[in-house]
Amino acid sequence: MAQTTKVREGEIWAVGGGKGGTGKTFITSSVGTYLAKKGKNVVLVDMDIGGANLHSFFGISRPQKSLTSFFEMGASLSDLVVKTELDNISLISGDVHSIASDKITFSQKLKLFRQIMKLNAQNVIIDLGAGSHYNTLDTFLIADRMIVVLVPEVIAIENMYHFIKNSLFRKVKKTLKEYGFKEIVQHIWDRRQSYGINNIKELIDYLKDSFSYIGTILDHELAAFKIHLVLNMVRNNNDILLGASIKSVMMKYLGVPIQYSGYIEYNDAVWKSVRERKPFMLNYLATGCAKEIEVLVDNIVKGREVSLPGGY
Amino acid sequence: MPKDELKKYYDMLELPPDAPLRDIHNSFMRLKKIYSGDSIVLAPLGEEFSEKKRKRVLEQIEEAHLKLLEAKKDAPSRTAPLFSDGREPEDGPEMDKIGDGPYTGPSLRKIREKAGVELNEISKELKLRMELLKSLEDEKYEALPEAIYLKVHLKNYASFLGLDPVRVTEEYLRRYQAWKGKTGPAEK
Repeated sequence: MAQTTKVREGEIWAVGGGKGGTGKTFITSSVGTYLAKKGKNVVLVDMDIGGANLHSFFGISRPQKSLTSFFEMGASLSDLVVKTELDNISLISGDVHSIASDKITFSQKLKLFRQIMKLNAQNVIIDLGAGSHYNTLDTFLIADRMIVVLVPEVIAIENMYHFIKNSLFRKVKKTLKEYGFKEIVQHIWDRRQSYGINNIKELIDYLKDSFSYIGTILDHELAAFKIHLVLNMVRNNNDILLGASIKSVMMKYLGVPIQYSGYIEYNDAVWKSVRERKPFMLNYLATGCAKEIEVLVDNIVKGREVSLPGGY
Repeated sequence: MPKDELKKYYDMLELPPDAPLRDIHNSFMRLKKIYSGDSIVLAPLGEEFSEKKRKRVLEQIEEAHLKLLEAKKDAPSRTAPLFSDGREPEDGPEMDKIGDGPYTGPSLRKIREKAGVELNEISKELKLRMELLKSLEDEKYEALPEAIYLKVHLKNYASFLGLDPVRVTEEYLRRYQAWKGKTGPAEK
């Protein structure tokens, strides 16, 4: 294979959001299942190291292969792909107990990213774990589509803001490093009080105002920093409208464009089967939320936003 | 208004350029709610975003609403006669600013209708009886409460429509007081 010249055809999606229990794995697997049903060749990657349960959504209780082999035996990622019972969709299990995600070395991480990008699939969907560890953020940032999952609760909103703020900070740092300004971001941030900088938005504004060259770079590179928001477990119109409010706040306070791509209504059957680790995906089309998943995926693909109730 | 300035205001209200009045109003009400106080989406941002920032955003939203309402207004269409006693309003530099002359019941209704706002929306939001709002717009003074209460209602009504509450209150009450003077001293 002429790997050096291979242009990646598939798209990488990453599903994150900070707080645990918001339904990241549920969204990853159902979005993947719908894409596969539409004929896409899909590989799901469970990066929730230590808390991995993506495989159980597909009725696989003890995966034969997992990322353990990648981290400990240097196995190639493409050899760890496990078929599911559904057509067009396979997965890489994150069922790793011997290593914690924060123990992954820098070179392991780069190797992992390189191999994720080379996976033979039209859609790779990465299920990120909870939290805002920099390994999680970096994985989020390699995606072509960055998706955050939120439930309508204050703590979840708080964690999500934290997650997005840190992703943005990481993105700015990485970008400027690539252009040869390795230290400047951290240097200014560490002395932010003397610069009168309170937050990431003001840091970016400061960089842009002070160094026009950096400003040009950031304008160019951050244009792609766009987040798709999914609201999960909504119970009423107010919950649904929360997505629009968050979009507003993110733009006005952080300058981060959010696409409110979809919402999923709270569904008792889903909640139960997730909790009981039922092979939910094998008959998920029978549940009420299949339609909402379809709308969500179509919106993400087409860059559209969900239509809101009440004329907003 | 120059195009790019107009676009800035539409952006502020998160609307595409040339959104209809109805959307301008809806968006304004929605955003006002978010940035008015301890909203569930603002509080979690933490202290790194100051209260000053929030107030600034709120001001910008209010300004954008006001400017867009003004821009949407057609050429000044006066409700003649502006004063019930047939007197022409005094013309002054102030006139050009609002286009419609001093705020009166009928002119307020016109502005409200142009903004595509239904009376019952105001009634619901401000928790005011429909009859009271109707009397306010009809200038049925005898049906209105004492000036001290009326003032509060007028202020709320004006803010709801994105108008200057001080001016609306002042100009409306001037006519109200004139009527009161004519009908004799208050009962009390």
